[in-house]
Parts: sequence; C-alpha cells; structure tokens
Amino acid sequence: MRTPKQIDRKRPADLAQPLDNDANKVMKGLGVSGGIAIGQVIALERLSTEIYPQRILKPEEVTGELRRFESAVRDAEAQLKQVKKMIGPGHPLQNHLYILDTHILLLEDRMFFQGTQDIIVSERQNAEWALSTIISTISAAFDTIEDEYLRERARDVHFVGERVLRILMGYSEKGSIRQLPPNSVIVAHDLSPADTLQIQKDSVLGFAIEMGGRTSHTAIIARSMKLPAVTGLENISRQVQTGETIIIDGSTGAVILNPDPETIFRFRQHQEVYRNYHQGLMTFGRLPAVTSDGAGSVRIMANIELMDEIDLALDHGAEGIGLFRTEYLFLGRRDLPSEEEQYEAYKHVVGACPPNSVTIRTLDVGADKIASNLNIEAEANPAMGLRAIRLCLGRKDLFKTQLRAIFRAAAHGCCRLLVPMISCMTELRNTKEIIEEVKEELAKAGQEFDPDVRFGILVEVPSAVAIADLIARETDFFSIGTNDLIQYALAIDRVNEHVNYLYDTLHPAVLRLIRQIANAGQASGIPVAMCGEMAGYPVNIPILLGLGLGELSMNALSIPMVKKFIRSVSMEECEELTTRAFEMSAAQEIRGFLEDWIQERFPQDYFIDQS
Amino acid sequence: MGEELELLELTVKVVNNLGLHARVATRMAQAMQNYACKVTLVKDGVEVNAKSVLGLLLLAAAPGTELLVKAQGPDRQKAVEEIKRLIEDENPEAN
Repeated sequence: MRTPKQIDRKRPADLAQPLDNDANKVMKGLGVSGGIAIGQVIALERLSTEIYPQRILKPEEVTGELRRFESAVRDAEAQLKQVKKMIGPGHPLQNHLYILDTHILLLEDRMFFQGTQDIIVSERQNAEWALSTIISTISAAFDTIEDEYLRERARDVHFVGERVLRILMGYSEKGSIRQLPPNSVIVAHDLSPADTLQIQKDSVLGFAIEMGGRTSHTAIIARSMKLPAVTGLENISRQVQTGETIIIDGSTGAVILNPDPETIFRFRQHQEVYRNYHQGLMTFGRLPAVTSDGAGSVRIMANIELMDEIDLALDHGAEGIGLFRTEYLFLGRRDLPSEEEQYEAYKHVVGACPPNSVTIRTLDVGADKIASNLNIEAEANPAMGLRAIRLCLGRKDLFKTQLRAIFRAAAHGCCRLLVPMISCMTELRNTKEIIEEVKEELAKAGQEFDPDVRFGILVEVPSAVAIADLIARETDFFSIGTNDLIQYALAIDRVNEHVNYLYDTLHPAVLRLIRQIANAGQASGIPVAMCGEMAGYPVNIPILLGLGLGELSMNALSIPMVKKFIRSVSMEECEELTTRAFEMSAAQEIRGFLEDWIQERFPQDYFIDQS
Repeated sequence: MGEELELLELTVKVVNNLGLHARVATRMAQAMQNYACKVTLVKDGVEVNAKSVLGLLLLAAAPGTELLVKAQGPDRQKAVEEIKRLIEDENPEAN
C-alpha cells in the first residue's frame, strides 16, 4: 500500500551528509507495518541450521536415532506449550495464539513425523538429514499453491522443522526474547510465531527482519501490535551489532544503520508527523467531508485491492470503496478464477460496506500477467497493448464470467461497475451490449442479480477525455484515473527514472483535462469521481473541489488528512485558488503557489510534505 | 454396525474470505482427531486426511471452492456436521 505524501519523504540518502563511512548506511526492504522506530539493535542471534550433519547410519544405530528424533519432537512440543502458557488471557495477542496450535499439530502430523522416521529407517539418514529432506519435500508441495496467503504457510513448516533441528543439533534457546532492554529494535533472520508471541510490547519498538513478506507472521503480528516492521533485508544480521542505533521506516521499507545526529533529528520529526497523523487525525475520519462554509460536500472513498483492506478503509473513515481492483483474483495463478470464486469475493466486499458504496473495476491487466494458457505472444509495449477492456472484449468468456459474478454480487448490496481503458464509443457500446447479454442470461437462468447496476468508465485514455461529452451521454458516471491519464497525456513512463520528474498532477494540461471531464459530466448530469492517487494529496484538493468533483477515492491512510483539509477550507477559497491556478502556465508555478498558500493558511498542520 | 461402514458424503463450499487458512485448518484437524471415524476432504480429485493439518493446508482451498467431505465409521455424522460448520462459517473468529 502506498503512503500519503506526508510520510513519503525523499530517499534517506538525500537527507544527511554522513560524518564518516560507517554512518547512515541505508538498506531498503519491504515496509510491512507502518511507522518509524528509532532505537537500539537487539540482534537475535540464532545459530544457523542451514548446515547440518549428514551421515549414513549403521544398521544398529537406526533405533537409537528414531528415539532421538522422537525425543527432540517431544521437547519441541514442550517448548511450544510453554510459550502458550505464558500468554495468559487478556494478552494483546490472544487472537494469534492459534498459530502455536498449528505448529504443535504440525509436529505430530503424519507427513512430518512419520515421514521423517520413514527416511531414517529406509535411507538410514541421520535425523537432521532426514528431517531436512522432509521439510524440503513439504515446502515443494506448498510451492504449487497459487494463493499467496496459503502458500506462505510453508514458513510454518520451516519454523517447526528448525525448532526440532536446533534441538537435535544441541543448540540451546539462547538469549531470552522476553527480557529486552527498552527501545529495542529486533534484528533477526526470521521470527517464528513463538518468538513474536513472547515479545513484551513495552520494550520493543520495531522489527527489521531478513525473511518474510506482507503475509508473514512478523508482518501480521507487527501490524496487530502497531509496531513498525521491515522485512526482506538481506543479510542485515551480519551488518549490525547489538547496541547500535538503528532507524526503521515501516511505511517506506527504509532502514538506516548508525544514523548520525542530523538524520536522527529528521526522523524524529517524521515520527511526530506519523504519530499525530494517527492519533489526532483519525477523529477526522468519522466526520463528513464538507467545506468550512458548508457549500461543498464530497464523498470520500477508499481504493483497495485485497479484501483484508476493507476494515482498514472503513476504520479510516472511508464512506465506501471507490475503486475495488479485481486483478488479484487473476494474478499469480495458472488458471482463471471461476464465477463462483469471483462471486464470493465481490459479495464479501459489497456486504461489508454500506449499500450503494462500492465500485468494482473489471479486469485491468494485460494478457501477459494472467493465466499462461491464454496463448498470447509477448507484446513490445504492453501498457498500450491488449489489456483491460480490450482484452475483455477479445475474450468474451472471461469478461462475461466476471460480469456475471459482479451482477450477482450486486444483489447483496448494490454496487457500480467501472470499466478501464475505454478509448472510443464503439468499445463503450460493445461493452454495454455484452452487459445486456449477461443480464438476459442471468434472468433466463433464474439467478438472483441486480439489473440496475450503474455503469461507468475509468477516464484514463486521452481520447476518452477528448470525447468525454459523447461518452457522458451513454454512461452513468465517470471516475478519473489520473495515474495512467497523466502518463498517457504527458507521454511519460512513471517508473523510468530519467523522465519521471516530468510527472506532475498540477501540470496545466492535467488540470485542463480534468476540467474537460468534469464539465462533460456536469453537462450530462452524471457524477464525476476521481480514483487516481492525485485525490489523496491535500495540495490537489482545492482544484478538484473547485472543478466540481463529487467523489474522491484514495489510499485509506490518506483519508483522515484529506477530510481534515476539506473541512478546513471553504468552497470560495477553492474556487479562487482554481481560477488563479488556471492563469498559470507551468506545473512548478502552480505547485509553488498552492503549497505556499496552504502553508501560510495552516501553519500548524502537516498538509504538505515537509522534507 | 453395517451401516457405519457406509461412506457418508457431503459437499460444502468454502465461504471464508481467506480460504481454508491456518486458523480453520488447525481447528479442523484438532477437532477431527477426537473422532474415531475416518474423515477426508476432496478437492479437484485430490483427497486429504482431515485429521492432518498439513494435508488441510496443502489442499489450499481458496474461497468459493467446493469440497467433498467423506466420512466412514461410528461417529461420522457428527464429524461431517462439524466440518460443515467450520467451513461454512464466514466469521470463525467470532466464535
């Protein structure tokens, strides 16, 4: 998930001049739990089980080895039960206790336990070797699982196996994770659930781990405990020593070893921003986005792509989901999701939100990213190739399956349909024809569905902007997708470091394009929303309001800040600022003007990125 | 005694939005180990022992998947009912 600009500062390397070569070493990992921690390293040293003894047993040694293995497993089980006992009722991580049960069950599982014993007997491998073989076999079986969350469970098998291996190799459970000095930032190769559950919240400020991703235990527990965490930090254990100062930024994934005083100071400021953001700001989430003079009112929604983001969105004050990205259902797997699977997913989202507050976007990727059996040759320029609605119109079966699932889910709470990358009226009309076919088929089959699902387009292709007036007559709403619109209009590849400096939401061309869309929408009396990233930054808001947009959808984390901003300005001010902005000719000029205005008007707030 | 040898079959749909994930798999394996009967789950022709947490995790049943529950033995009726409850419960955390 991207973070609001307030926390999205320049790369740390830009910030401070290192006093010497050892200071301010920057590492980049994956930010899996937001926030900034500045503390001292506690390096959790675990002797590695990567290299274990391998030998062939003499026939008479087999029985003894079986017993040794069994004993190690019993000990492992006892260790886990001991940890369980420590977590009394009322412990903040009660909810995660079940994972210790999973590990205990894994120890006893036939595949694991019996499997290892079978290898000891049949191959006469020593216990460590046999166990490692079984772990590899089981991990390989997990590799074939398509769902990321379910596949990540292979880590649980590793944790359990490693615990037994350490016992077999005679490694003691060193260094109590329970008695940590205050201000500890734990640095480790990996943290097992047993580790994380034993952590005392008062001493730990955050985690910097080599292994794991967003769905790892460290990430899940860190988010639960609201502690910053960064994973994917290759070899960090070898680069730090217990006692050294470390800064971790769980939002950006940046880690700074041995920061100098200036860097520490900067990050303490960012930390303040982050804390204020979460404490004071969350109250704004519960309030409506109405301007100070009451003249302007906007619906604030969230952009999400995974189901578990819904709670976060609603927590931060989202009035609904302005953009539900459906790609995750199609990516990373060899087959296509069935209608049932999609239906369950859409139904869940629709049901979790207030009625009429969810907008579902149809598949928006290229053929290259989904089911490899679609047999489409590699494209030289996939961004402008067979993707999104073009792919869907070319593969009616795929498209209709998704549409059926959406229309059926809509029966449970009403939602809107958003179609990406429309570039001409013919595409639009073809899409609507297919929609009519789907409705007929569902009716004939006697399936429950909502026939009144409103249909809109994601305005992102410049040609669609040019004919927005024509399109507006044949759709129910617009949602402006500035991320791609700006790329296409300014001819920039956003991830190309050489040219992405040109990307600017306040480019006069961008403002005029938005104005054109807004005017076309107003002329036909249809609502105009924005779901591009631009909607989540206060500096853009006066113009978006001034142009008459009625709905802004953004990253959930941005919502409280945006609501606060909207409630702080008046429509009169927004309209005035908009008029002034349209008189200027360069993005830099417009941005400077707006930022100065905001900073002067709201000196106590953090509406603009301070770095 | 004779009818207990008969196979009891039931189709259930995975409703939980995380699929047959660790928490559900753990509860199911723990629960099933208390039954004398033999219980298995089948997905797309792959059959796993419902008493094995590893088997259940490897089944990797995503949301919307239909599973076939098969049970054979003395307390099979109750076992099947319990599996149905676990799989079709949308919010197992609430329990």
